[in-house]
Amino acid sequence: MNLNDCHNFSDFRKLAEKKLPSPIFHYIDGAADDETTYDRNTSSFNDVDLVPNVLRGVENVDLSTTIFGKKLDLPFYLAPTALQRLFHYDGERAVGKAAQKFNTMFGVSALATVSVEEIASLVDTPKMFQFYFHKDRGLNDSCLERAKAAKFDVMALTVDTITGGNRERDLRTGFTSPPKLTPSSLFSFATKPMWGINYLTKGKFELPHLQDYVKEGTDTNTSIGQYFSTMLDQSMNWKDAEKLCSQWGGHFALKGIMSVEDAKRAVDIGCTGIMVSNHGGRQLDGSRAPFDQLAEIVDAVGDKLDVICEGGFQRGTHMLKALSLGAKACSGGRLYLYALAAGGQAGVERAIEKYKAELVRDMKLMGCTKISDLNRDNLRFRK
Amino acid sequence: MNLNDCHNFSDFRKLAKKKLPSPIFHYIDGGADDESTLRRNTESFNDCDLVPNILASVGKPNLLTTVLGKKIDMPIFLSPTAMQRLYHHDGDKASARAAEKFGTFYSMSTMANNSIEEIANISSGPKLFQLYVHKDNSITDDLIDRCRVSKFDGMCLTVDTLVAGNREKDHRTGFTTPPKLTLQSLMSFALHPQWVFNYFTHGKFEMSNVKNKTDKGTNISKSVIEYINEQYDPAMSWKDAEYCVKKWNGPFALKGVMAVEDAKKAIDIGCTAIMVSNHGGRQLDGSRSPFDQVSAIRDAVGDKLEIILDGGVRRGTHVLKALAAGATACSFGRMFLFSLAAGGQKGVERLLQNMHDEINRNMILMGCKNLKELNNSKLIYRK
Repeated sequence: MNLNDCHNFSDFRKLAEKKLPSPIFHYIDGAADDETTYDRNTSSFNDVDLVPNVLRGVENVDLSTTIFGKKLDLPFYLAPTALQRLFHYDGERAVGKAAQKFNTMFGVSALATVSVEEIASLVDTPKMFQFYFHKDRGLNDSCLERAKAAKFDVMALTVDTITGGNRERDLRTGFTSPPKLTPSSLFSFATKPMWGINYLTKGKFELPHLQDYVKEGTDTNTSIGQYFSTMLDQSMNWKDAEKLCSQWGGHFALKGIMSVEDAKRAVDIGCTGIMVSNHGGRQLDGSRAPFDQLAEIVDAVGDKLDVICEGGFQRGTHMLKALSLGAKACSGGRLYLYALAAGGQAGVERAIEKYKAELVRDMKLMGCTKISDLNRDNLRFRK
Repeated sequence: MNLNDCHNFSDFRKLAKKKLPSPIFHYIDGGADDESTLRRNTESFNDCDLVPNILASVGKPNLLTTVLGKKIDMPIFLSPTAMQRLYHHDGDKASARAAEKFGTFYSMSTMANNSIEEIANISSGPKLFQLYVHKDNSITDDLIDRCRVSKFDGMCLTVDTLVAGNREKDHRTGFTTPPKLTLQSLMSFALHPQWVFNYFTHGKFEMSNVKNKTDKGTNISKSVIEYINEQYDPAMSWKDAEYCVKKWNGPFALKGVMAVEDAKKAIDIGCTAIMVSNHGGRQLDGSRSPFDQVSAIRDAVGDKLEIILDGGVRRGTHVLKALAAGATACSFGRMFLFSLAAGGQKGVERLLQNMHDEINRNMILMGCKNLKELNNSKLIYRK
């Protein structure tokens, strides 16, 4: 199996599983507790059907959409995710260049393995920085200032990860960052020698946004759950968010909003967008799927800020459903992470190309030529 | 296993799988993307239950109905499907003769391997032609004229296939037409010598209806997908459909209507019927199933339009449910193709006999003397 055999999400996932040491694969693939929310994120799309319109003349389809004041050629973007160089030695460089090629946005995590400065020198299309609110205010200020200096377009404050989710697969595989060889993981690393060779020879693994402030995850092996639980400031409140928002002074989003009430408060503190997200089912298991919650939030604040639906997308038709309900754009992490592991930049490009081709085809089959043609009349919910 | 062991859809499917090289079997069997719409087409019948009336002195139920101006002996017929000679060397001849024997419609695809004239010569039963609007108008005009000369009874225009669906099984098996021997598929063809022998000894494989107009799909290996994307006109509009209705000037159906407002427009442009269909789940995955949608359409169009439910029908009880929900008749493609592959004309006859017997038996069990007695009161939807 190679990249040319990858036609969809599950193909990329399969190839990633072949290429990655198992603790790393399961770090991407796993979610919190029983993974019920993770499953629901995708299965929620199956409770509603698309109703196409015919004979509308659909030769040319325009997939562009505007979020945070930036026009993107695609109605989806690559959500920020941590530790990308664990999945492929090019990490964020590969993802950023692939996103640039398709003129869509991508996110860089505070826990990225390539610095914002380097990303800015490689990619001039829209970029988002994903902020975690640390106890160390010096670290917070440094992240903000560096992202601002690097001319990132959007700042997204993560609000659903005040403590680490219970990712039981990581407990079993002993996943830490940087990866640690344990008797149980040794075999898995030994059977993927290419990954090991690349990891050790393609530059030092580091977390450039954090390394001046913390030891965890940079030169001591730490689990990601531990990191969140010990380093992040659990007292973070709306005031802190508001302060960050004005300190940033540009497009600012809250990532991980689920309740209508919180969405309204996001408007009040000056946010220009929110990501309706449960962190890919990796935090609170049993929480609501973004797609299930989307309509209420769009109804409440859709005209006041950009509502992004994040999580569960595996198909172009899933995106059409979210866009029909009123999302301004769709995003996902696993959406491209398996592809990154499967083939670096070429893998991510192939994944984007596949989703794009699906969207164009599905728009034509729906009888729509632009994203704004999609609306709730296109949908019927099953009883 | 032979034809006498085939009592239902899954038996015919099993036998077809034995007889066909795997790329060809999967071309019939597959749907678009994740095949969720393909599955839903049949599953949707299970969301409601039949409520029989007893002691109705039914005697022998009358299964007659009228479709596209023709009296047919039972409320089911064969949907148009392309390239039937891939499934059995007799191709359309076998299905046309079988349908005539049971007094119901045989339908011919634009992409049939027998010509309009050839089939008109061997069958005097009801015949429906399935039109695709090609970018080259003269192909469309020529087809309509020839159908008139050959006294076809009805014309249907496919409106859900402006662009080919994402049939991933075909990517994997390398399905093309005519079949191309690839390393992957070689083994499968070698394991079905009888199919290969018949394929090469029963006349040349061609797209008989369009062979003078285009060489695509006739003497070069093309995937159906490429044919659709190159030849069909994605700019097709209501005007084009109206043009075809007028040019045909006889009973006319739109095939692939799902939205209520499109059904109403079909009346406005002079259609006799619509086929509520998602192309057997082969086009837009995530789109609504015909049975889920049929009653809303019937409510909107009243008696101004015949409604053919196309897709998911596997059982006589499915037909009864469809008619009770508002359909005039049902049609099916995949089911009869498996019977065609399983046993040629005899296979299709056996299937039609089985379906006839099931409908007849179930009408008696429902306490219905004729099809008009099937209405919404016979159905209870589960919550």
